[in-house]
Formats: sequence, structure tokens, C-alpha cells
Amino acid sequence: MISKKKINAVIAILCMTLLSVVMFAPILLMFSTSLKSMGEISSREGLLRFFVPVKAHFSNFTEALQQGDWNRYFYNTFLVTVVTVIISLVINSMAGFAFARLNFKGRDQLFFIGLVGLMIPPQATVIPVFFILKNFPLAGGNNMLGRGGMGFINTHFALMAPYLAGSFGVFLFRQFFLNFPQALDDAARIDGLSRFGAFLRIHVPLSKPVFASLLVMKATQCWNEYTWPLIVTTTDRMRTLQIALVIFKDEVHTQWNYMMAMTLIIIAPLAILFLLAQKAFVEGIVTSGIKG
Amino acid sequence: MKKKNSHNDLVGYAMIAPYYLFLFLFILVPVGVNLFMSFTDYNLNTMNFVGISNYLRLFRDPILKKSVVNTLLYTVITLASTISCGLLVAILITQTGRLIPVFRTFVFLPYVVSMASASMIWLWIYEPGYGLLNAILKVFNLPMQSWIYDVKLALICVSVVSFWKLLGYNMVMYTSGLLGIPQHLYEAAKIDGANALHRFRYITLPMLRPTTFFLLVTGFINNFNVFEQVKILTNGGPVNSTTTVMHQIYNRGFVDYQFGYASAITVLMMIVVSIITAVNFKFGSKGHDLDLS
Repeated sequence: MISKKKINAVIAILCMTLLSVVMFAPILLMFSTSLKSMGEISSREGLLRFFVPVKAHFSNFTEALQQGDWNRYFYNTFLVTVVTVIISLVINSMAGFAFARLNFKGRDQLFFIGLVGLMIPPQATVIPVFFILKNFPLAGGNNMLGRGGMGFINTHFALMAPYLAGSFGVFLFRQFFLNFPQALDDAARIDGLSRFGAFLRIHVPLSKPVFASLLVMKATQCWNEYTWPLIVTTTDRMRTLQIALVIFKDEVHTQWNYMMAMTLIIIAPLAILFLLAQKAFVEGIVTSGIKG
Repeated sequence: MKKKNSHNDLVGYAMIAPYYLFLFLFILVPVGVNLFMSFTDYNLNTMNFVGISNYLRLFRDPILKKSVVNTLLYTVITLASTISCGLLVAILITQTGRLIPVFRTFVFLPYVVSMASASMIWLWIYEPGYGLLNAILKVFNLPMQSWIYDVKLALICVSVVSFWKLLGYNMVMYTSGLLGIPQHLYEAAKIDGANALHRFRYITLPMLRPTTFFLLVTGFINNFNVFEQVKILTNGGPVNSTTTVMHQIYNRGFVDYQFGYASAITVLMMIVVSIITAVNFKFGSKGHDLDLS
């Protein structure tokens, strides 16, 4: 019986090793290509040469950074990610707390309306949100009726706007806060804390895991977003990292080495975060069960 | 008492106010705005009411028809492959004991890579002149292919990129499902003489039904909105063989500035997604009453 189990384990390990090699091959290819010269890339040598450069050209990274305003793209992506994560965590935790621990008229109905927002795929709102941002009254040269200018189009706010609320985060926080004992609220009140004070001093410090998993989720989403920045930015200065990658590709030929070098740099922050906090990352994804 | 209650009301409203502001402005109101726009010919400058002519055009648009077929095909291929292989890999990985975290790192890593970056890497792999895939074919003396430039292969190529990125996600979800199945069920089945296949068929599959259901519903919605891979890898080509509904919405709206028509396509897409999600709920959630733990 035991030997059969061992054979199973060996077969599983062999299969998983093979799969791991296949899954990692594209990432390894990105690594090696980022270090090659264009001459070597187009030389069509043996299969192994794809993954091992003849000579490592580390200068590819600095040369790639000089094609385009990468400082600015990094700044844009970084700013949008950080601000969106902070604002959405504040907004979501407050709303989740109110829905879970406060009594006010229409609470459950209001929460249910929020859940409807979960069922609307973000892609279904790109056109109307674009329209609303463009015609926002008194913004970006618009008059009172939202006419005349470009509104919020091509601004950092436009890049953040659709991601600031997020019913999912509210839902997650509410579920978490519901599990707190009522005695905690009572004790806080007896000690003279207001409801908001109790939230700040008791509930927030006790809910680090939810903050952590939502932070990972939101940061991944913002950092990796492609469609929305493509739509809502119109000038080179407002480009984000993900949409700036096309710089290295034109109609006739692509600078694969530079493109792979920048792809590597763009992937690195999240990949390192994942490797360092793998357990939290995976658990966050399982419990939240939503696309990043 | 009354006074205290009303104070509580105010704190509650104040705390949900920021959330509700953004929820209304950027999620709920847009659905209404979208419906309204689908009856107009808005083109960034002028807007006239045009009745249902946008909706009539939906039925006479051959490229849109092609895009619906492509989207459904892509969704079925990607969903079926990621869910079935995700389960298979989850079963394999749970047998590897202490090596689970190592293998999980390799299989899950592509999920962390953004779709734009993943598409760039695969663009290079699919490169017809000196890309990796054709180099592999050459080793085996097989004829070279043009991959994403081939009408027959392009859509499969796009699906493969999604498969590569999403397999780890499906695997992780199934792994946690598998680890949640109580071991005593398998032991009891063994005593009753059930073989491995029976145990899989009558214990593993039914116990994983909630996971499968979740992956099916969310996977359907996500895959049906496929856009990034298509935009970067093929931009809908060759000869519209990979254009998808979302790609059509983008092109009609943000390339041609026919926002009214693009809104009508969006309404169509939302109706299709809602119907199929409802069907999934009707036939897929039966397993929810199964609770043996």
C-alpha cells in the first residue's frame, strides 16, 4: 500500500517538474532576451541559445530606458497605484464598518444596491465613464453644463476614478467586521470612544489581514491595468507603464531585447512581492476569489 | 434614546458617503448613461437622438457577428482548458507533499505577470521569423507556422496566452478546495470497495462543485470581456479572425468615435453575459446543498 502511494508521488513530482519547466520557459526567455544584442536575437541559432545569451548586454536596460520618457511612465503608474490603494482602502473599510456595526435607516437596502455594482463588469462601463469624465462640469475647461473642454480626460484622476469605490472591498470588510463581538463595541463606548473612534482605534488595528489582502489585490489591479489607461490617456506624458511597452514595436520590426528588458522591470515589483509574501498572496486570492 | 439613534444614523451615512459617491458616479450611473447613449449618435462633439437605429445596425454588422462567434469560441476554449487542467494540476500538486510550495511558485508566477507584459512575451514566442515556437518545430523538422498571422491558428494562440496566465489561478483555487475535502470520506469509500476512479467521480468532483461553479461563473464573465491580449497580439486580425466583442466596442467607440453604436454593442454584451450567468446559476448551483463537513 505504501509503495503504491510512493509511486504516485514520484509520478506527480515528475509531471509537476515538467509542467514547471514549461510554465517558466516564457519567463526565462524574457530574462535571456533582455540580455542579448539584436544581432544575436535574429541569428537563428540552436534551441538552447534562446535561453542562454552568448554575452550578457546589461546596457540593454539603460538603453531601453532612454527610448521614451520612462521616468514619467513610472511616476504615473506609481502615483496612480499608491493613491488608488490608499483612498480605496480608507473608503472601503469605513463603509464596510458602517454596514457591519452601525444601525441606520435603510442600511441593508443600501448595502444590497452596492452588491449590484459587483455584477457589472468594468468593461461594460468604459464608454459611459469616459463620457462622464469628459463632460464633468467645471473640470478641465468645461463650463457649468460640462461642455467646451476635455474634462478629466488625460488626468491622473481619470486613471484612478473607476477603481476608487469597489463594492468588493466593502463586501470583504463587512464580512470581516461582522465577526467582531458586540462586547467590543460596548467596551469602547463605556471607555468614552465615539463610533468613529472605535473604528479607528479598535477595528482597524484588528483587521490587518483584510487590509493586506485587499492591498495586494488593488495594487496588482492598478499596476497591471491596460485597457483603461489606453482609453483615457491621450498624450505621451500621461502614459502608464503597461501601455508604454509598445514603444519598442513598430509596423516592421520590434526591438525584442529592449522590450523584454522593460517587461522584466515592469513585472519585477509584483513578482518580488509575490515571491516574498507567497503565502499571503495566495491566501488573499483564495479568500477573495476574484480576478486581479 | 431617539436623539442617540439619529446621531448614529448620521455617522453611518457619513461613513458610507464617499463609497456611495464613487459607486454612483462611476458604476451605477454609467449603466444608465450607457443605455441612454445607445439611442444617440454621440461622436464627442454632437449628440442626436436616433431611436433604435443603433440596435438595428447590430443585426446587419458582419464583423460584429464574427466577433461574437470568436468571443464564444475563445471563452469555451479558455474556460474548458483552464478549469480541467487546473483541477488536474491541483490533484497532481497535492500528491507532491513538501514540494507543493516550490511547484506552486512556478505554476502561479505567470498569474502575477500583467496581461500586457504576458502578451509581449508571447508576441516574441510567436514571432514567425526567428521566434521560439518555430525554432522548436525546426528541431523536429516540422513545417514553420505563422502563428498569430495565420487565420486558422490566431484565436488558439490568443487562448494559449490566457491559459498560461490563468492556469495557476485555477490550480490554487482547486488546491484549496481539495485540501478542504475531509479525508474520512475517502477512507470510508475505500472500505466500501470504491476504486480511484469511483472516488474521484463520486467524492472529489461533487465536493469540488462549489469551486467549479465559482470558477465557471467568474471565468465566463472575465473571458467574455477578453480585450488586452487581442489588442496587443493581433489587433483583431488577420481578417478579423480574432476580433472580440470588447475589441469591437473599443474600435467603434475609441477609434471610429461612434459612441452610440459602441454603447449599443455594450448593452448587447451585458444582456448576453447576464443570461449566461443566470443559466449558470440555475444549473450550476445545485451542488450547494451538499455539505458534509
